[in-house]
Order: sequence, then structure tokens, then C-alpha cells
Amino acid sequence: MRLTRYLIALGITVAIFATAFYIASRIDAQRIADIQAAEDQLSVDLLSEQTQFELLGNLDCTSIGQQPILSDEVNSLAERVSTAEQNLGSDNPQVIALKKQYSLLEIRDYVLLQQETQKCPNLHPVYILYFYSNNGDCPDCSQAGDVLTYLRQTYPSLRVYAFDYHLDLSALQTLIKLRKVTGPLPAYVIDSKQPVYGFKTLPEMEKLLPLKLLATSTASTTRQ
Amino acid sequence: MDTGSLGIYIFLFIALYFEVFLLMTFLEKRPEKPTKVLPTRYPSVCILVPCYNEEQTIIATLASLLALDYPKEQLSIMVVDDGSTDNTAAILTPFIAQHPQITYHYKQNGGKYTALNFGITHTTAELVGCLDADSFVAPDALMEMVKQFERDKDVYALTPAMKVFHPKNIVEMMQAVEYTFGIFYKKMFDTLSAITVVPGPFSIYRRDVFDKIGLFRRAHNTEDMEIAFRMHAHHLKIGMAHNAHVYTTVPKTMPSLIKQRTRWSQGYLQNSLTEYRYMYFNPRYGNFGLLILPFGITSLVSGLYTAGYAIYRFFFIGWTKLSEPLVTGIPPHVPVVHFEWFYVNTSMLNFLVVVALCTTLTTILLGQRIAQQKLPLPWIMYYLLFFGFIAPFWLVRAAWGTIRGAESKWK
Repeated sequence: MRLTRYLIALGITVAIFATAFYIASRIDAQRIADIQAAEDQLSVDLLSEQTQFELLGNLDCTSIGQQPILSDEVNSLAERVSTAEQNLGSDNPQVIALKKQYSLLEIRDYVLLQQETQKCPNLHPVYILYFYSNNGDCPDCSQAGDVLTYLRQTYPSLRVYAFDYHLDLSALQTLIKLRKVTGPLPAYVIDSKQPVYGFKTLPEMEKLLPLKLLATSTASTTRQ
Repeated sequence: MDTGSLGIYIFLFIALYFEVFLLMTFLEKRPEKPTKVLPTRYPSVCILVPCYNEEQTIIATLASLLALDYPKEQLSIMVVDDGSTDNTAAILTPFIAQHPQITYHYKQNGGKYTALNFGITHTTAELVGCLDADSFVAPDALMEMVKQFERDKDVYALTPAMKVFHPKNIVEMMQAVEYTFGIFYKKMFDTLSAITVVPGPFSIYRRDVFDKIGLFRRAHNTEDMEIAFRMHAHHLKIGMAHNAHVYTTVPKTMPSLIKQRTRWSQGYLQNSLTEYRYMYFNPRYGNFGLLILPFGITSLVSGLYTAGYAIYRFFFIGWTKLSEPLVTGIPPHVPVVHFEWFYVNTSMLNFLVVVALCTTLTTILLGQRIAQQKLPLPWIMYYLLFFGFIAPFWLVRAAWGTIRGAESKWK
């Protein structure tokens, strides 16, 4: 029996664990960078659309109406942020920073959409502001997210803006106050109407939505 | 990380530590290759063949012993019939008449250990071996063992490299891989002086062993395990003659496999946790007390834990998926699958599982090298894919049997 062998084996095992941790961390960092890049791209695209809107004013609503807008990018980013949140944890500082940036982009897109709608009566976008929580005070939020994801797949023109209700972001808290969202969660604001509280099944959600305005086809997804 | 995953990480760490320890042991002392050097002297050897209703295989077992490459005047074979109720006696009588090397004794049924003890007390041979009546030896097996006894004067018992006899179905093929895996383990345990069992198929003892520590005991129907523990308690060395090959028949069906392994696992628990529990973490017993015994228990606990956690996850996720349409109203549909690297699960746990899988494959390959055999790839795949799902059945039964203080069954 040699104590050295016991210690060397322990050192090698610790090294294996450390290497696994390092590789997993590097890949997670790459994921974060990937999301960051997507957010930067979305930010540029939003700014571009906003600038285009300001340049054209209400002179060319047809052109604005034909824009694919940014829903695909927003959805794809939402999926990635959600994956990062699942893998790294919702309390991870990098995840929180990404969520803040993502929420800001969502709000900007939402504001732009509001402006476009006001100036161009021919536009009839359908959107949902969805408020969830990962703090343990919303046991139904996971299922609510599944319903919204399914709705998004079924109605690609539906825009879902998902917000973490407790996210420490002043713009988001202003939006919450403006739309008078008090709880309990999950909460939905559909097309500037009063907030609706509590989990809604797919049939219940479909009753709340103006389905005539939503064309069906296949498209991207949205998660909570 | 949830509490369940934390347990998996802890058990993975222990398992990897153990694998690393054994691989280091292998690199420090590699098993010798067979040589043509003959022993300087041929000690008298008596091979005991305890049997109970073994009419199907007993003649082939004895034929393999008669074919051993060893001076006939120095080798005797003693069949101890432990009260068979089938045609064993009728089949043996004409066969033994043609082979004066073999003696036959019939006794009242009392269990395998009583048959072995009967044989030990009726022989004066220097080396006393045992061969289960469902196993067959390679012609040079005894010679290899005698050579090793001659080389290492400190060794008191030797076990052979056990292989599965003609695996035909998946259950046997999986066990063939497991036995090869076991050859590597046992050889490393030999290097560490920490072999845990002196199994029935062709283990050989110096006669002194029984004079020093007594005869076999019932020992929860695992007399071969108990005697190994007792030898460690008396600091009598057990070795492995990896160039001595023995072929044994193994359970052909899942229920019989589970029954056999329940007996082994329960025997390990009952022997090690009662009479020999003082050896755990006791440096007086070297690697056996400090590493092998604690790891044995840990592997049983980790097997139970991992199975329980996997079942919990499976049913939790399964229930969530099944109940989703009822709760959400979403009709059954094909979920969107992402093929981008971003969505590949690259958690630390997955990397560690890959490392553990690689070390397992390495030990199988090293086991093949030591055993001088090559296993077909599908057999290895069957083992890796299915064996882990079967083991929890006997682990649960063994743990429950130990808690109840029940005795396991032979057949």
C-alpha cells in the first residue's frame, strides 16, 4: 500500500473534473458570446428599422407593412436566452445581463410597433406582453410558456414579448406600471387591453386572441 | 445544480477515482505474458468437484480435468456429490470406472461448503483445488497455477482468469464482457493484494490455508467470498494466475442472472458488514481495507442511487409530457428540434460521463489483452447499453434481503 498512489489518483481525478468544468465553462462562455452577438445584431436591425420609419414617416405605410419586421430574430433570441437560462441558471449574472439587454430590445421593438401602428392604420399586428417569473412564485409559468410557444408556431405573425416580471430593469418596471400589471403571474396583456391574470390553456388563449387577424403557417418559436 | 445531480457528481468522482487508481496500478505493474518455463517440481494436487444435480455438465467438467497437462500420479480428482437427486450418480459410475484418477463420494445434502469441507478432510494433497461442476479448464491451467505458486512463496490461494463458456444469447454475451472486465479488475486487485473472492471455478489453495484459518463456512451462501475475507483477516495473500483460463457456464435467462447476482451482492453485504466490518478503512488490511471494501459498498449504493434517480427523472419527465395536453390543451405535436451546436447539451456532467465511458472501454480492452481473447463489438454494445439497467434489480433485492436479514437462495 502506498499513500503516494492514493494521492496521485486523487490529483488526476480532480484534474479530470477541473478539465470537464473548464471545457463546459468555455462552451457556455461561447454561448453567451453568441447570444451577445445576436443581441447586437438585433439592436442594429431595430435601429435600422426605426431610422427607416422616421425617414419615411407615414408617407409609405405599404413599405412598412411589407417589412418582415424582426419577429424571427426576436424569437430565435428568446429561444437562446431561455436555453442559456436553463443551462446556467436564472441567477447567473451573465444570464441576467443578457435578459436585461434582450428585454430592452423587446421593449424597443414593442414601442416601434406601437408607433408604426398609430401612423399606419393598415397595420393590424397582434401581440402579447407576457409576464413570468422564475422566483418560484409562478408554478404555472412553464406551462404558460409552452402554450405561447405553440401559439407562436401556429400563428407566425403573432408577436410575443416575454418579460421576467422581477427583472431589475427600470424600462421594464415602467412598462409594468404603464400597463398596470400587478399580478398574480403569469400575466398577459393582449393588444393594449387590460391585463389578464393566471394560467390560460390553449383554447382559453385562442378565445382571447383576434384569430381573424392571424394567418396560419409554420414559423419560429417563443419561450418564456 | 439540484440535489439529485449532486449525488451523481459525487458517485462519478468516486468511480473515476477508482478507475484512475486501477489504471495507474496497471501501468506500474503490467501482467506477465505466458512463458514455456516448467515448474521445478510438481506438488500433489487434489481437485474437488462438488456437485448437486449436475448431470448435464459433470462429464464434460471431469473430461476437461482429465485433459490437464499435469503428471497423472500427482493429480487426483474427487467428486463430492452433495445429495444429488437426478441421474448424476448413474452417469458418473461407468465414467469413473474407466478413470482411476477420479474418486466419487456421495453425502447427504448440506450445501456446497459442506461438500468442499468433506473433500478437504479426505485429502492430503499439497494443493487443494475446487472446480464447480458447470466449469471447464484449459489444459495448461493447472500448470500455470503451479508455476505461480512456485514463483510466489507468499501466495496462499490463486484464482484463474474466468471466461464465459460459449455465450449464445444476449444475457450470456453481456456476462462475457463483464467477466473480461472482471479479469482486469481481479488482476489489479491481485497487484494491490486485495482480491475479494476466491471463486468456485478452479481456485487453488495451499493446504496450509485450512490448517491456519479452518474450513469453509456457510457464510450466507457465499463461502468463496467469506474465505477470501478470512484470509485477508489473517494476512494470507490471494493471487491471480491470469494465464490459467477457466470457462464457466453462466445464467442464460434474466431471472436466473438476477437470482445469482442477488446472492453474490447480498453475500458481499452480509459478510462485509457483519463479521468483517472492522476491516473497513483499517490500514492494517492495506488496500483491501482502505480502498476495495469501501469502494465495493459505494458501488452498490451508487448503483441504487443512480437507478433511483434515473427512474425518478424518467417518470417525472414522462408524466410532465403525458399530462401536458390535459393541462395546457395543446394537441400532440412534433416538437421543434434544433440542430445547431448552441442547443447541444455540453454540461460538465456529460463530459464526465464520456470520460467514465472511455475508462470503462479501456478496462474492457485491457481485460481482453490480459485474458488473450477478443470480444465481438456487438457484445460490448449489449453490455454498455443494457447491463446497467439490469443491475439495479439485484442490488435492490440484495439490499432488501440484507436489511431483512434473510438468506439468499442458491437456485
